[in-house]
Amino acid sequence: MSLARTVATTLARAAAIAASALAVSCGSVNTTYTRDRPADTAVDARTRVNDLLQQIFLSAKEVRMFRNSQGVMEVQVDVENNGFSYRSFSYLFDWVDARGNFIPSQLSVWKTTNVPDGGSTVIRAIAPNDQAADFRLQIRRSD
Amino acid sequence: MRTHLRIARSAARTLVHAAPIAVLALAAPACERARYIETGSPEGIISVGEVDMQDILRASSGMLESLIETGVLKTAKNKPAELVIDQVVNDTSSRFSVDELTYRMREQLVNSGQAAVVTTYGQTPEDKTAQDLLRRQAFLKGERASQMPDPDFSLSGKITQVKRTAGDTKQVSYTFRLTLTNIRTGLESWTKTVSMTKVGNKPAVGF
Repeated sequence: MSLARTVATTLARAAAIAASALAVSCGSVNTTYTRDRPADTAVDARTRVNDLLQQIFLSAKEVRMFRNSQGVMEVQVDVENNGFSYRSFSYLFDWVDARGNFIPSQLSVWKTTNVPDGGSTVIRAIAPNDQAADFRLQIRRSD
Repeated sequence: MRTHLRIARSAARTLVHAAPIAVLALAAPACERARYIETGSPEGIISVGEVDMQDILRASSGMLESLIETGVLKTAKNKPAELVIDQVVNDTSSRFSVDELTYRMREQLVNSGQAAVVTTYGQTPEDKTAQDLLRRQAFLKGERASQMPDPDFSLSGKITQVKRTAGDTKQVSYTFRLTLTNIRTGLESWTKTVSMTKVGNKPAVGF
């Protein structure tokens, strides 16, 4: 009886290890951060319509917006993949002026990037001119 | 009994006729109607061995971002900076016009007032008529050649590829590289590479 229980326990453990090995695919990465609070340039970001990032287990860890050394507005978004599979997504940054009017430019194009499971990436954009004061980010799945 | 047999035979005959039709219907390729999509949209066709429109737009956007980010155009003597567009060589097996890249960049820089493109410069100007008229006006006014456009930078570049294959799977990396040379010093003032890698064994429609 005890032998049967031992065998059952061993099998259960083996199954658990196998399941976790399958869940974390071979492309998964570990990510280490030293920062434990938002950057000085971090801004509050609102997600409207639907949160596609979360639907595909991606999360915007931090959104930073600042003027770089040349006085040009730059935005950086840290995107983390909390899921168990490699993710591809496309994104588009549009810029608006201080009055909220859209600034058409050749810089606003769809770009595609990938994030391995457990990994993170930084998507960034540079404002097309000095009138840009804010941005709008659109994201869509591409896998 | 005979009636039952007749019904069964008729059903079998119907099935024999219907089966090939069903197989054909399943095997037929899905019909996709032509439609408009946004240029450069991820919905467009992605091909492994060709430079796609998405790649060109991404490259021009990356180049423009770098040009604006570094502020190199603000260092020019002329305000706005005057550019001459030199050769951008397409050294890939994909056939496309490099103007797709350069005209997008020009549009952004010129229309936003960050740069002016000189189209009347050199032995092979982009606009020969405008150059001839400019020369004629200068001649009639008795002005010297120094009154002609005096550009700050020359833009040149190259697009290259690296292809690799593993079994049926192909991988191609395209690298767009542009350089801005200060015409007065002859030195490189700015350079940027934008790369993209595609992997697969046949073209696909993105979504």
